[in-house]
Amino acid sequence: MAYEQVKVKTPLILRLLPILSIITFFGTWQLVVDWEIVPSTMLASPIQIFQLFLVKWTEVNPDGALLSQHIWTSVQEAFTGYLLALLVGIPLGLAMGWFIVVEGLSRPIFEMIRPIPPVAWIPLVIFWFGIGISGKVFIIWIGGIVPCVINSYEGVRMTNPTLIQMARTYGATDWQIFKQICIPSALPMVFGALQIALACCWTNLVAAELLAADVGLGFLITMGRKLALPDMVLLGMIMIGLTGVVIGVVINYFEKRLLAGIRR
Amino acid sequence: MREERHPGQAKIECKDITKVFIQKGKQRVHVLDHISLDVKENEFVVILGPGQSGKSTLLRIIAGLETPTEGHVRIDGQEVEGPGPERGLVFQGYMLFAWKTVLGNVEMGPKLRGVPKKERREIAAHYIHLVGLDGFENHYPHQLSGGMKQRVGIARAYANNPQVMLLDEPFGQLDAQTRYFMEKETARIWETEKRTILFVTNNIDEAIYLADRIVTMEGKLPGRMHVVYRVDLPRPREHTDMAFLKLRHEITEASELTL
Amino acid sequence: MVDIANEIKQQVQERRPLTLAMILTNRWFLYGVSMLAFFLAWDMAAVARVFSSGLPRPYEVVLQLWRMMFDPLAGKSLLGHIWASTQRILIGFTIASLVAVPLGLMMALNRYVNAIVKPLFDLLKPMPPLAWISIAILWFGIGETSKVFIIIIGTFVPCLLDAYNGVRLVEPELYDVIRMLGGNRRHEIIQVCFPAAFPAIFAGLQIALSIAWSCVLAAELVSARSGLGFIIILGMNLSRPAMVVGGMVVIALVAWTMSQLVSGLERFVCPWKREIDSR
Repeated sequence: MAYEQVKVKTPLILRLLPILSIITFFGTWQLVVDWEIVPSTMLASPIQIFQLFLVKWTEVNPDGALLSQHIWTSVQEAFTGYLLALLVGIPLGLAMGWFIVVEGLSRPIFEMIRPIPPVAWIPLVIFWFGIGISGKVFIIWIGGIVPCVINSYEGVRMTNPTLIQMARTYGATDWQIFKQICIPSALPMVFGALQIALACCWTNLVAAELLAADVGLGFLITMGRKLALPDMVLLGMIMIGLTGVVIGVVINYFEKRLLAGIRR
Repeated sequence: MREERHPGQAKIECKDITKVFIQKGKQRVHVLDHISLDVKENEFVVILGPGQSGKSTLLRIIAGLETPTEGHVRIDGQEVEGPGPERGLVFQGYMLFAWKTVLGNVEMGPKLRGVPKKERREIAAHYIHLVGLDGFENHYPHQLSGGMKQRVGIARAYANNPQVMLLDEPFGQLDAQTRYFMEKETARIWETEKRTILFVTNNIDEAIYLADRIVTMEGKLPGRMHVVYRVDLPRPREHTDMAFLKLRHEITEASELTL
Repeated sequence: MVDIANEIKQQVQERRPLTLAMILTNRWFLYGVSMLAFFLAWDMAAVARVFSSGLPRPYEVVLQLWRMMFDPLAGKSLLGHIWASTQRILIGFTIASLVAVPLGLMMALNRYVNAIVKPLFDLLKPMPPLAWISIAILWFGIGETSKVFIIIIGTFVPCLLDAYNGVRLVEPELYDVIRMLGGNRRHEIIQVCFPAAFPAIFAGLQIALSIAWSCVLAAELVSARSGLGFIIILGMNLSRPAMVVGGMVVIALVAWTMSQLVSGLERFVCPWKREIDSR
């Protein structure tokens, strides 16, 4: 009866099940295509996608660009939008959290624009910027700025009021309190925004490239649909997922480094 | 005293309890070392020890939430094999159901045992009154202060009509004022509805104020019993009473507790 | 009776004299100024043709909306289009939450279900829901099915994830309470797991709802004969910015209303959370 509540190791079955689950998933997928249960115009098998993946590094056709070009364009657009969102959103959010005038002036506009999904901006953006890179960056920016503002705002709002009162008794000015107390204490929330905003930006990339693009991963997907090539659609989807994960890991690494640097 | 039990038999009987935890799959932590303790019917026993002395683990073992590595616990001669409604446990962190009102919390025990609605409402109302929360039946826990929350915790444990009450540092999170007040209340509630009580605390004053008997624990792991004090002061007790202070001095001297 | 008055918190509000500085820093005053400035700037930008003809004046938008209320567009009035989009969301959202929430709860309660579903879920999670539009059209054509499918895909993830985390983050000692009071495993699940997970489930529903809007609009932009996304894409194709902006205004209003409804439902289902939020 001694050690029963302490599980020293996970049962073998629990370690095997995830692997089995993944194998079954890919196996079924492959077989469904091989046995033509689903027509080949609708679904490509994992192996076909992998073959296309290898080919697309050197083959421009039929969509007009190499896979590396698609990835690079998308990453460029996403990062430009992301950085702009950080540059505008974080200072705005911080200021909204502390200065009542800033909050009063920007909050209603922010609240009006917030419920509009970035996708809905596409037609207007095409009117304004045409189909070049600036329009896509704008849509990504719109998507990324919301979490930046909200998190920085909340971060400042959650500052320990005792600290602020303490600073006031020392005779600190509003600006000094903002700079010395509110911003540092909001930093963890702001760093949280880095990840969330990135996820938003990356998701919106597909929206941005949905209607008007000639290169990029979202365009690859759209092109695959127009040409009825499911392997191209799925390759595009997988590459977006994969690139998103890679960027997420990189950002996470930097976030940890930065936070560690601050704590030291 | 009930007659069917032969005299001298303890209500709670702990025999040679030893507990070893295994942390993260390899590290062994020896928490309790051969604890033997008997509690008589309707006795108020306080286990006094500093943090990390294994006293909460002992209480959880008696509650049946942990199994002892060695030794056994008997209640009325019956071996404890798991948690059960004949023991009521009051938690340090209140552990109220945030989604239930005060009434819903207190009647939870009878409800789980299948007591009909009308009856369990009566039981709940009785104990809500006992802990002095009349008028707060329909409040949610987040609307209550810390002391009131723990009143609900006590009422909830009482509502199951347990023979043994186990209280695990119930007032540890309260401010000194409320804590003092709640100690008085605990004594009053116990006088009104006598139960066998095992009360864990790290506060000497609380121990002397409440206990018939105080069991002190050594201040380091593995937890061992140190000294047992009998408190024969008349109730209600006064913190500034000479006898009170003398006992306090004695306990402080004898243990590493410098509280 | 016992005196518990010393434990009840009191709230005191301070009254300050009214001064000009007070008015200037009054939140509602500033909100008013902000709205006014926003619409003025918009109007001026439109008049000055900053975006050439790409920005209508605010009153043109109102006029356009008024017209769309009565003149049918592709066989439907504005309300008809609102309903078309809302209907798609409701269907997709209902299906997704009915499957995802129980699945999330089961994953949290049963290690075996978790071991089977979690890896698949982690595999599909990083794919943005909008990326599914193309494959959905290949699979289901351009009809209603593909739109509902995308909404299901998009809302599935937050619904499942929050239900899962909601149960995972339950204070384990609450299970001890149930067991001490004489309850069994079934009681633990009914009395603790479910109610404790409710707020998290609702948080998930809110996120899911905003994703659902993105999905339905994207799907309607790609191919549709009705819906709010159809209005804005039609406005673009006809080069009528007033129609585009009008569509966006309606989208914002409807999306906002729906999220308020979910909050209202949450307050109704979880009354214990009411004052935690307002603090």
